[in-house]
Amino acid sequence: MLRKYFALILFVAFVASVSSCKKASMAKSETEHEAINRVELIFKQGGNTVATIVAEDPDGDGGNPPSKIDAINLQANQTYNVEVKFFNIINGSTKDVTSTIQQQAKEHEIYFILSGLNFPIEKKDFDANGFPLGLISQWKTGNASAQGSVLLKLMHKPLVKGPNDDPSKGHSDIAVNFPLKVN
Amino acid sequence: MKDQFYTFKVWVLCLLACSILTKNATAQECDLRLSGIVYDGATQQPLAGATVRLESSNKIAITNKSGVYRFTKLCSGNYRIKITHVGCLPLETSVSLNSDLLNYNFNLLHSSEQLSEVVVSSKLERDINTIKSSLDSLDMQKTKGGTLGEMLRQLSGVSVLQTGSTVFKPVIHGLHSQRVLILNNGVRQEGQQWGAEHAPEIDPLVAANLTVIKGAGALKYGADAIGGAVLVEPRSLDIDAGLRAEFNSIYFSNNRMGLLNAIVEHGGTEKSAWSWRTHLTYKRGGNARTPDYWLHNTGVEELNYSLHAGYQTEKTKAEFFFSAFNSTIGIFWGAHIGNLTDLENAIKSEKPLFNIDEFNYQIGRPRQEVAHYLIKAKLTRELDKNRRINFWLSHQENFRQEYDRALIANTAELDLNLGTTTADINYETNRFANAQSQIGLSVQKQANVWNGSRFFIPNYTNLLLGMYAIEKWAKNDLQMEAGLRYDYRSLEVFRNQNGQNFQIDRSFNNLSASFAINYVPNNRLSWLNNFSLSWRPPNVNELYVNGLHHGTANFEIGDPDLISETGWKYTTQLNYQWNTNTQLDLTLYTNYIQNFINLVPVLPPTLTLRGAFPTFKFQQANALLSGADLTFNTTWDPSWAYRLKASLLLPRNLDTRTWLQQMPAPQIDQEISWYFLPGSKNSFLSTNVLWVAQQQFIPNNFIDYLPPPKQYLLTNLNFATELHFMKNPISFGASIYNLFNVRYRDYMNRFRYFADEVGTNVVLRLKMNL
Repeated sequence: MLRKYFALILFVAFVASVSSCKKASMAKSETEHEAINRVELIFKQGGNTVATIVAEDPDGDGGNPPSKIDAINLQANQTYNVEVKFFNIINGSTKDVTSTIQQQAKEHEIYFILSGLNFPIEKKDFDANGFPLGLISQWKTGNASAQGSVLLKLMHKPLVKGPNDDPSKGHSDIAVNFPLKVN
Repeated sequence: MKDQFYTFKVWVLCLLACSILTKNATAQECDLRLSGIVYDGATQQPLAGATVRLESSNKIAITNKSGVYRFTKLCSGNYRIKITHVGCLPLETSVSLNSDLLNYNFNLLHSSEQLSEVVVSSKLERDINTIKSSLDSLDMQKTKGGTLGEMLRQLSGVSVLQTGSTVFKPVIHGLHSQRVLILNNGVRQEGQQWGAEHAPEIDPLVAANLTVIKGAGALKYGADAIGGAVLVEPRSLDIDAGLRAEFNSIYFSNNRMGLLNAIVEHGGTEKSAWSWRTHLTYKRGGNARTPDYWLHNTGVEELNYSLHAGYQTEKTKAEFFFSAFNSTIGIFWGAHIGNLTDLENAIKSEKPLFNIDEFNYQIGRPRQEVAHYLIKAKLTRELDKNRRINFWLSHQENFRQEYDRALIANTAELDLNLGTTTADINYETNRFANAQSQIGLSVQKQANVWNGSRFFIPNYTNLLLGMYAIEKWAKNDLQMEAGLRYDYRSLEVFRNQNGQNFQIDRSFNNLSASFAINYVPNNRLSWLNNFSLSWRPPNVNELYVNGLHHGTANFEIGDPDLISETGWKYTTQLNYQWNTNTQLDLTLYTNYIQNFINLVPVLPPTLTLRGAFPTFKFQQANALLSGADLTFNTTWDPSWAYRLKASLLLPRNLDTRTWLQQMPAPQIDQEISWYFLPGSKNSFLSTNVLWVAQQQFIPNNFIDYLPPPKQYLLTNLNFATELHFMKNPISFGASIYNLFNVRYRDYMNRFRYFADEVGTNVVLRLKMNL
């Protein structure tokens, strides 16, 4: 009787051991799959695109540092309508994920933090609660200035987003510092 | 808010259920059991043929060849017990029987010795050449319902590495993770142990004994226990005939956590040699609370179950064990940060910046979902009176999913599956007088596969071959043990970078050894010395990790050129008993670890589109960890007891001539207990005060965001008693942790940058035996 049962136990353990032969050799690509690794800032005047500014890190976090962060050059005393777009590059193909941020508007907010220069930037789009989002904004430049920078932050803050949040609230999904000059 | 009192309701329901069950069980009058083992007080060997007499009832039991005596069908009440054996002093004592006492052991002394006091030991001390400490049943009772780490931290020399209020990892003499072996019912636990925020996937309620091996006693189970080993052992299946059940119901006020646990067991009878036990635990808790605010997303949910079955003939014993562990653990929101700037902002703020200050049971992101399944079969065959063969076969599957920020897809960012199959064979013989030898062989195969949207460690397969020989012998006052082990490990790593698949093969082989000598000149003193040589090959994460660590904003980079680390440890334990009331236990150790693998901060920070991240690399250094653990017990009246536990660790980095980071600070724990019912150890009121120093031993070149937290003092209260309800014993216990709602942070908590530790927690425990 014992022998019969022990054979059964052995069999179960054996089957379990065979089933563990996973496909370890079929390794997945180590490049980060679901991350924003390309950001575009599209500057428009009167409906025409005047500049497309790009920051890109095709291999994701780590590995090589971001391969491209364009500098922004704006004209003095001008009004620009600015659109922000986010992309996910996997194995060379680029996917626009801006609509995901749009769908999760209640959890996100985009900030533009200027340093070394100053002019008004106004967010023009809002989430369902009427709180600012920032995918569309209006920049009104002043007089020509020295070289400065603008920090673009995409903050993720599910359940805690309010109308006038400090840019430090939540955690950073994107934080890119673009060189900026007003000529 | 419907959820708010869910747990409490469940707890109340269980109370009702228990009382109904009790009513049906009123027929079990005078059905108590008393059993245990009689040992030779000098050699600690079980004593066969001793007579155990219950004076008032005239019942007699003779111990069998394992020293076991058993009484059944006893009524509750006080009994005088007299134990006699040829050549030994008779022992007389009394026992107050309110519930089953199944591990009530005695030590008999030889007539040549003058001590005539009774020594009642509550735990089996068979393995006397190993430096270890076990949680006694009282300590187990006081911490029941906690995680494995929270229970083990009761022992001096053991601390925990915490990740917030939900993840606890045991630390032995400053070492943890891969350097501590955990044995679940004799099987090496193989989970994703490398992660500091990965708690052991074990339900401590499956265990009757929790033991920590501090010296080298784990040679049989593996060579890499540089820090020590934890043994999680269920009670033996060799139990009394018949069906029994135990129910536990526990409620924690702080996070409104309810826990239900049931154990049903059946002992073998004369007709059937089958015995079995099954256990089930469910717990669910919500957000924890510090003295000032709730910690959002710190709930837990756990469902564990096991089945243990045995079949025994005269010469063969077969055992089968299956256990399942499933848990969902919330990770505190406020500790979930995007980059270095977020981290600096979080640290600057007194209260967590990113938090919702309210209670609920929901577990959102970030969270961990962990499952672990173990199946084991063991066969023991007695070849003759002195020789025995053991054979084990086991398989484990570990699943770990870490949910992080869900930017695009709603799946787990990190998804790991580790499968491990192990076969062990072991041959024991004690053919020669005063000597015992064993040899063994172990083969293990492992495969780890990752999935998810973020790379952290690569896929690998692992083959391990180990063989060992252990010899024990005794001569006069000395007991000695020597062991030797050889291991070979081959590692195949599969990578996929820039569209290229490639394979890396590594192999490691090494020799480990241990030697122990125990000097026992008399019944009062034992002086145990233990030398060990152990080694640990670098783990896959230390070699090839490249990525952001979940919830810590640290970028970790492995080093493929790491070599094995080697530990030389000397441990000495001095145990002295002035008399049966006062006992001192001092353990001193020094552990020299060559090529100690260590995460060291490097510059510059890693730049990403998400901002900058502090970066750490695995590097090797020579380390010297020395320290002392002290336990002192005294009872000055049968009903009053005092206990002191203290530990100190000096963690030196010999290469940089400074200290190692994240090592436990010195601490002292003092406890006074009052046993308010004469003769009963199960009814007590106790208070303990734990003092933890500010850690002064920190590296002076290490860039830490915050200095170690200030010292703190915690006061806890514990109460337990036994009641009788419908003639069935019910144990009721209550604890208040952090009685004064002290606001503090601990150096060993990785979330100390973000939030305080939890405040007052009232725990109610109810246990019923049927």
